[in-house]
Amino acid sequence: MDISHDEAEEALAAIQAMVKKTRRAISRSGAYAFLILWGVIWMVGFLNSQFLPNQTASYVWMGLDIAGGIISAIIGIRLNRGIRSSASTTTGKRIAFFWLLLFVYCVMAVAVAWPVDGKQLAMFIIFFVTIGWVSMGLLLSFASAWWGLALLALSMLGYFLLNDIFYLWMAILGGGGMIALGVYVRNRW
Amino acid sequence: MLNLNETIHQPVRLRIMAVLVTLEPTDEVDFTYLRDLLEVTDGNLGAHLRKLEEAGYIRINKVFVERKPHSYISATPEGCRVFKEHVAALEAILQNK
Repeated sequence: MDISHDEAEEALAAIQAMVKKTRRAISRSGAYAFLILWGVIWMVGFLNSQFLPNQTASYVWMGLDIAGGIISAIIGIRLNRGIRSSASTTTGKRIAFFWLLLFVYCVMAVAVAWPVDGKQLAMFIIFFVTIGWVSMGLLLSFASAWWGLALLALSMLGYFLLNDIFYLWMAILGGGGMIALGVYVRNRW
Repeated sequence: MLNLNETIHQPVRLRIMAVLVTLEPTDEVDFTYLRDLLEVTDGNLGAHLRKLEEAGYIRINKVFVERKPHSYISATPEGCRVFKEHVAALEAILQNK
């Protein structure tokens, strides 16, 4: 079979376009949405902790977390509907169980350490979220583990050195960072 | 010398294989998802999938999900190998201009 130079060029361009479209379709189908969703929740939640009274702030956080949980479940169910993997079913169940265990550990750690103030409570949650994040990175995509470690380092910096503006710091760097990472993942391909 | 593969070179089949080799080796793609991605009709996609299946380049897994029939398509190791060879042959043509 012989083809011209132009035909070969067209065929390679068609392949590259299809590879790009497929990767974009996969990435758009969900994973980045978790980052953007929780980035927005952190940004709104921490801003509300910075500027509103404690009682009001805790109610807002509760509402945000419930909304975040429901939307995350919907995204999870819709994730990559058109693509299935023989390896992913078992892994998916183990990942879900891992996050459930992590949530239980977090609640127990806070209960043992109680009473804690708002900033300490935020740091407990950040510890467990970043442990989960880094673990997922080590398991699924090594590069993303560094982002989890960076978030942990920035949180520690804010807690010990910028205590007065800790919530503002977490809203902008934690929430904003997650939104930026989500947008980056979405557009990477 | 690398040879072009006539079965794969057809434009729709070339794009089908490009999608399938982009997925993880353990992944398979739903027929309707693939149809929407390629922007082709059911009949057109079905005909090209049959050709690729006959050649041994893809595997079609027919299952029932919530009592509805679904076809999941994946590239076979042979299909992946042949596709990569085809791409290498296309690149060789460009380099030998």
